[in-house]
Amino acid sequence: MRGLRFLFVGVYLCLGTLPLLWLGITSLKERPDTISVHLKWLPSGAAGAEDDAYFAATLDAYRQLGVVYAGADHAFYHYLKNSALIGLLSTLASVFIGTSAAYGFSRFPIPGAKDWLFFILSTRFLPPLAVVVPVLMMYREFDLQNTHLGLIILYTVFNLSLAVWLMKGFIDEIPRAYEEAALVDGYSRLQAFRLIIIPRAASGMAVTGVFCLISAWNEYGFAMTLNNQDAVTVPVYFAGLQGNVQGIPWPQVCAGVLLFVAPIILFTVLVRRHLLRGVTFGTLKQ
Amino acid sequence: MRGDWDRGWLRYGFIAPALVLLVAMNIFPLLYSIVLSFTNADLVGSNSSWVGVLNYKFVFKFAKYGQALRTTALFVFLAVACELLLGFGLAYALRDRFALKPLVLTVLLVPMMLPQAVMGLFWKLILNGNYGALNQFLGLLGFSQPQWITDPDLKFLSVLMVDVWMWTPFMMLISLAALQAIPPHIYEAAAIDRASPWRTFRRITLPMCAPLLGLAVLLRATDALKQFDLIMALTGPNDRVTQTLSALLYQTVFRDGKVGLGTAYSYVILVLVIALASVFLRYMGRLQRESDS
Repeated sequence: MRGLRFLFVGVYLCLGTLPLLWLGITSLKERPDTISVHLKWLPSGAAGAEDDAYFAATLDAYRQLGVVYAGADHAFYHYLKNSALIGLLSTLASVFIGTSAAYGFSRFPIPGAKDWLFFILSTRFLPPLAVVVPVLMMYREFDLQNTHLGLIILYTVFNLSLAVWLMKGFIDEIPRAYEEAALVDGYSRLQAFRLIIIPRAASGMAVTGVFCLISAWNEYGFAMTLNNQDAVTVPVYFAGLQGNVQGIPWPQVCAGVLLFVAPIILFTVLVRRHLLRGVTFGTLKQ
Repeated sequence: MRGDWDRGWLRYGFIAPALVLLVAMNIFPLLYSIVLSFTNADLVGSNSSWVGVLNYKFVFKFAKYGQALRTTALFVFLAVACELLLGFGLAYALRDRFALKPLVLTVLLVPMMLPQAVMGLFWKLILNGNYGALNQFLGLLGFSQPQWITDPDLKFLSVLMVDVWMWTPFMMLISLAALQAIPPHIYEAAAIDRASPWRTFRRITLPMCAPLLGLAVLLRATDALKQFDLIMALTGPNDRVTQTLSALLYQTVFRDGKVGLGTAYSYVILVLVIALASVFLRYMGRLQRESDS
């Protein structure tokens, strides 16, 4: 029985990680080896025969990330900068606005608080494509189409529900006694929030920030429909390369994808103890 | 001084920014799109006029729409079912402690954190009929090498497979939490009663996991209902076999330029999402009350 269990997990682990391994292998190839009819999976110093498993391993694809490919206006790094700028600023905004709202809901008697919280959560379920048309019309009015700011605002709002719910869980865990002592000592509410609560909620804010950053980093639907020139993010850039008539430059795409997902994998390892909380909006804790 | 904050309007200052943003960017657009759905607005923004319920009449007359609805329903059902079975199976197999467990879990969980649109493009390389790694591997084993992405009989399966690869870890994560929440003394009592392993699983493990598995299924179903990124990457938005509601909506608005008709479609999707989400929210409220008490 035990053997069977490990066999199952082992097989799934291999099948599940093989695609990621293949991503790494492909990024070391030259293009002809990526579209060979033979399975080329063993890196070697020199190119093998046409029909064997060896390919000449090279880091050229990583060096060529600065090249502009057909189907895009700029090189990979340009779009990486867009993704980073939009992801980081929207994450900062979500976390701060979310923390403030979570504090309000956690500490003050607010009529209908439960209903408000569920309203906030319900916005998470809206399909992006159902709101994107009116948002596009609004953005045209305010000239926010094709701007970084437009996507930053949208991602901030899109991640707010997650930020409020996660932060409420974290702030509920901070004993009220701390800030009550501070208030007795003559702190104002805002001072107590800034000097007592924020430092104690900092690790929770970091975890919340990671989840907001990942969802902004990965977002595709809004990014693709709201702009096509100035604030194009990496997922939209990669999708655009499909229009390349000479065929997709697979080694460079794979090298770019690896660089793009490396921070996500790193963050996943960092917040692994909070993953359950993150994907269930703080309902379940490990 | 404290009383001012607790009773006065200033306490709303903490929650106001969040609520204002949500109303401006979610509620207002939804109301605005009701208006749009009664017009013949197009994407270039030329003058639009009121057409009444014409768009809604079209929505229900188009064969494409019925097809997309069926595709979406089938996709949600199959994806969630496969992911639940595989994810729960993995969690059940991994329920005991062992030395490398944290590492194995972290590795298994990675796919669900990755960008779907980008991984979809990469899977196109793996699934390519002529030079994809999957077919090269099948060839080595002497199997036939089908066209995974272009064969109408297989492309739905291919999208499903990539979705299962990405989201099985999610089901595993919640299943593990459910399994760990079962108090060991219940199993001990079952062992004393000489209950067979199968009976213990049927009568204790499954019923005690059910509430959290329900939560996982609802969360995953609302997400699968919106699936768009993978379909765009693998087959494009206008593919007869894999066109889900979201893909049809994209095609209608952004390729055909019919904004009014598109927003009418989006309301049909919204009704489905709201129905599922309200079941989910009620369910979650109940779970929270139980864990609070």
